[in-house]
Amino acid sequence: MKSKKTALAQGFIRCHDCGRLSKQPDKNRLCPLCGGRLHPRLPNSFQRTAALLLSAFCLYIPANIFPIMTVTRLGVGEPHTIIGGIIALINGNMVPIALLVLVASILVPLLKLLGISLLLLNVHYRWQTHAKKWTIMYRIIAFVGRWSMLDIFMISILVSLVDMGSVAQVIAGPAATAFAAVVVLTMLAAKNFDPRLIWDNQR
Amino acid sequence: MNQIDFTACPECDLLLNPAVPVVGDKAHCPRCGYLLQRPRKQSIERTFALSIAGLILIFPANLMPLVGIKILGGAKDGTLWSGVVALFEEHLWGVAVLVFLSSILFPLLNIILSLLISAHLYFKKPSRHLAHWMRWLQHMDEWAMLEVYMLGIIVACVKLASTSELKFGFGLYAFVALLIVTGMLASSLDKVLFWRQIGQLRK
Repeated sequence: MKSKKTALAQGFIRCHDCGRLSKQPDKNRLCPLCGGRLHPRLPNSFQRTAALLLSAFCLYIPANIFPIMTVTRLGVGEPHTIIGGIIALINGNMVPIALLVLVASILVPLLKLLGISLLLLNVHYRWQTHAKKWTIMYRIIAFVGRWSMLDIFMISILVSLVDMGSVAQVIAGPAATAFAAVVVLTMLAAKNFDPRLIWDNQR
Repeated sequence: MNQIDFTACPECDLLLNPAVPVVGDKAHCPRCGYLLQRPRKQSIERTFALSIAGLILIFPANLMPLVGIKILGGAKDGTLWSGVVALFEEHLWGVAVLVFLSSILFPLLNIILSLLISAHLYFKKPSRHLAHWMRWLQHMDEWAMLEVYMLGIIVACVKLASTSELKFGFGLYAFVALLIVTGMLASSLDKVLFWRQIGQLRK
């Protein structure tokens, strides 16, 4: 049941890009102000978000199992996974930075995956409670996503700086690609999720 | 074109009378709390000025060395571009493209588009591309990640500080300045006002 208060229930469609309201048109009309295609809700929002989320879940496994970089010192190579890198930081008495990396590259991706799953469950089972809190959670997920790129940027800097042949070298590992893909896929999943679906289900 | 005197909340689709907040005020959606508009003093003028400043700063930030390193006699300088090249040389082309887009291309396009749009609005010069530029700017916004890159630089420096000698280049100062300018740019750009002005120029 849709509340009468929403723009859609009153026969208006809000343009995704410029925010202009238009009278509910025939299919595939364009916004008169910005030329964007008008949809009452993001098209196939649930399916697209679910597909992107599932791919992100799959890639999260190799991202954590394989080494994200190999540090070579005086000819001795030492591969690091994401967690291994954090443990190395703790052992080197750099706990604040270790916490920062822990939050950015373990907690944020994991909480994002779980959070988007919960949002999808919410929409699918039409949960009736706390719509405002769910919307706030969506906002947090959409905001923090980009900060997971921290690890990728750090590797890019280390790889370019520490390149002294056999003396000292940092080589990026296969997990870097998987991790970068997880970050991008979860960002796209959050972007494709339409929070108005939560409100549409409220009685 | 028949004018519609309503707006709708982008996150819960509540039909609203358009709020007209004054500078310093914020307009929130009464149902879900979404920040609808936050007007800024001289939004167009400031965006114009800041995007010129950003366009000047982006050259030293990209071309001059950010951080230099010395390990056992070997020395190396790192720029934004050298990080991308190093990833490319290790055949991580996916990660390399992602780093290139989010640290070099999107920030640059972001500033150029802000400059183009605010210059047209400032001089009240209509252009049929304005709406397209504004749409691209909105979609690109979250993929420009200079502030995350800064955090990456900090973490990389802390990791390297114990084993090698670090030297901060002039590029890093330009990069920090660019970061501040793009942050101010993002907060001074009032999207609701910009779209309204674009719509008025059209008439």
